[in-house]
Amino acid sequence: MAETAKRASDVLLLSGNEAIARGAWEAGVRLGSGYPGTPSSEILPALKELGGVYVEWSVNEKVALEVAAGASIAGARALVTMKHVGLNVAADPLFTLSYTGVGGGLVIVTADDPSMHSSQNEQDNRNYARAAKVPMLQPADSQEARDLTMQAFELSERFDVPVLVRPVTRISHSDGLVEVGERQDVEPAGELEPCPEKYVMIPAHARRRRVAMAERTRKLLAFAEETELNREEMGDSSLGIIAAGVAHQYAKEAFPTASFLKLGLVWPLPADRIRAFAEELERLCVVEELDPYLTEQVMALGVEVEPVDDRFRIGELTPGRVREMITGERPPEGEPDEDLPPRPPTLCPGCPHRSVFVALRKLGAYVTGDIGCYTLGTLPPLEAVHTCLCMGAGIGEAHGIQKIRGHEAPVVAVIGDSTFTHSGITGLVNIAYNAGVSTAVILDNRTTAMTGGQVHPGVGETLSGMPGRELDFARLARAIGIEDVRVVDPYDMAATEGALREAMASPEPSVVIARRECVLTVRERAPVPELDVETCIRCGQCIRIGCPALSGVDDGGERPLPQIDPALCTGCLMCAQVCPVDALKAPEGSGEGNA
Amino acid sequence: MVTNVLLTGVGGQGIITASTVLSQACRLAGWEVKKSEVHGMSQRGGSVNSYVRFSPDGQVASPLIPEGAAGIMLAFEPLEGLRQIGQTAPDATVLIEERRIVPVTVNLEGFSYPEDVLERVLGSGREVTVIAAAQAATELGEPRAANTIMLGALSTLVELPGDAWERALRLVLKPEAVDVNLEAFRAGQELMKSD
Repeated sequence: MAETAKRASDVLLLSGNEAIARGAWEAGVRLGSGYPGTPSSEILPALKELGGVYVEWSVNEKVALEVAAGASIAGARALVTMKHVGLNVAADPLFTLSYTGVGGGLVIVTADDPSMHSSQNEQDNRNYARAAKVPMLQPADSQEARDLTMQAFELSERFDVPVLVRPVTRISHSDGLVEVGERQDVEPAGELEPCPEKYVMIPAHARRRRVAMAERTRKLLAFAEETELNREEMGDSSLGIIAAGVAHQYAKEAFPTASFLKLGLVWPLPADRIRAFAEELERLCVVEELDPYLTEQVMALGVEVEPVDDRFRIGELTPGRVREMITGERPPEGEPDEDLPPRPPTLCPGCPHRSVFVALRKLGAYVTGDIGCYTLGTLPPLEAVHTCLCMGAGIGEAHGIQKIRGHEAPVVAVIGDSTFTHSGITGLVNIAYNAGVSTAVILDNRTTAMTGGQVHPGVGETLSGMPGRELDFARLARAIGIEDVRVVDPYDMAATEGALREAMASPEPSVVIARRECVLTVRERAPVPELDVETCIRCGQCIRIGCPALSGVDDGGERPLPQIDPALCTGCLMCAQVCPVDALKAPEGSGEGNA
Repeated sequence: MVTNVLLTGVGGQGIITASTVLSQACRLAGWEVKKSEVHGMSQRGGSVNSYVRFSPDGQVASPLIPEGAAGIMLAFEPLEGLRQIGQTAPDATVLIEERRIVPVTVNLEGFSYPEDVLERVLGSGREVTVIAAAQAATELGEPRAANTIMLGALSTLVELPGDAWERALRLVLKPEAVDVNLEAFRAGQELMKSD
């Protein structure tokens, strides 16, 4: 829950994300931009709640970083937020922003997701700091999330460099107590005057900036040796641990009396302090999630580090895993649960995407998918999504498959409305331009559902609350050169199947827009259908659409009898539409729902 | 002394709201507290765990409860309670809802819901209390308040000073939901007394 109390003496309970927003707000940030992505999505809404800051959901992370770069050139402090894979999208501006440096402080939050709770990979974005030669701060709790974000703005301006802040899921989505302060009023500095040798990266300028970067790195190395962002916590000399962020907390939990070198700044690293710390100790371990990022740099200093088994490089750490990593002692095992039915995430009851997948499965389509709730369409019983690579990839993949397998291959790309605006549009232009014939289905549920329901250009509303221009997908497709465009209501399953069948058969490239608001944003619910037990032939067709509100109960009959959970059912009537004998029907004349 | 509370159940049951109320109550009591959970894809009807760690007089380091160290488990669904029993200490206190929510894998992938789910939890050696929170909430006319009934039951184990619990409920919940949830909270306390 966001709290908005602003008195200086307050101690608030804030998530890491809310604390980052708080730190940026107190630091006088003037612009916040980003694209939603778990676990980073709550930062900008929290910043909006605090007030006085222009915030926007940009169409993707690259644009978000460029918008923030503009604000920085204009002299203001700017914050950009994204998940780890979002920084891949924004990597192009990042690497050259390291050359140009900043005007107002520029802070980029990359929220990493070890264990892939809601991600397609678990890349370690600390590598970006080293590769782009920009400082990175890593908070270990909500208080540090606020404090380090504030210091990131100061570092950015002091060293003329964008600064990365890297929380992970267990920082972004953990709550802790935070002492807060007042907002500083930081006005944009100076006039907006051209400074081409700093901001125009033609080779002649960039070569000079490259030398300036090397000088900056020398200064940052000296800073790392003296800053209190890095902290020695001397305890027993028998065990020393170098750690940063949440890994430090796990290590502290597992070995409360050990000595620690706790790093707040993870690039660049303080070589002298690492050597001095190591000298005091009998054993030295580096505790870090994912890549051996710190380990390799510490070893490159000639410091001996205890080896770590590769399996600790996969997934989140925990206090028990850290203990095992260092002592070999395994954490207590839970009771064997192989016989327990798993409970994976599923498409919600009433999800409008369901009918598209039912139809595509029936039509035997090879479906190139994308990033969003609808990726869950790959799970049983729908099993109707056959690729998921990255944002926007499905459209390009569909085109490539058809160039190899021929125009008749039943290939369909499915992509959400927000993902389409993020990076699907360019793929569609590519299909039209390169004489493709693919069918792209835009699952237009009028929101960015997976990450909590953020607005996007297709909706027309903006994060700041100002009205925006609504992107019309059908007109856009026609402007690209795709004439075969259909709009259907996915709650009408026959119409949806018909539109998909025709689009797939079309010799032209085609777009089907399946438009129906996300069931999580619609409040009103329709009546729960009634089952006529006498008519039902127990064929299981309704159960096989994979609705969590529908289950089969064993009542002693030959096969299970369908049963609807009225607490979950939204009355979408997809189950009734797939019933071959009309045994499921909306209650006649009933105005009662289950709201 | 750190108390570790594991809240477990199914996405959509109000587990994150309940853990927020507990965490805010600890803050309002002047205690140290940390809470951790996962948002995003895992919440779409999947298993959900939330970890709350608090201490009246010390620091909490890890936001995750160390393996096998939950002293209290609040299980909002029996199967999820059974799934997490190994994450509780051998002498843990377990409050467990009796109403089942059948996962889709039972219908579609040939799994079966263990008929002896509560017996297995009761036989685990933990101090187990079965709570009919969903039923009690339905009787109150607000099925969505089952999570607050569980919190009311928890409040008999976690005695916070002053009116921290009530202030936390008022802080976290929507104003129009406060009255029925205060009623649900007291109903949860009563369920523990009558046990």
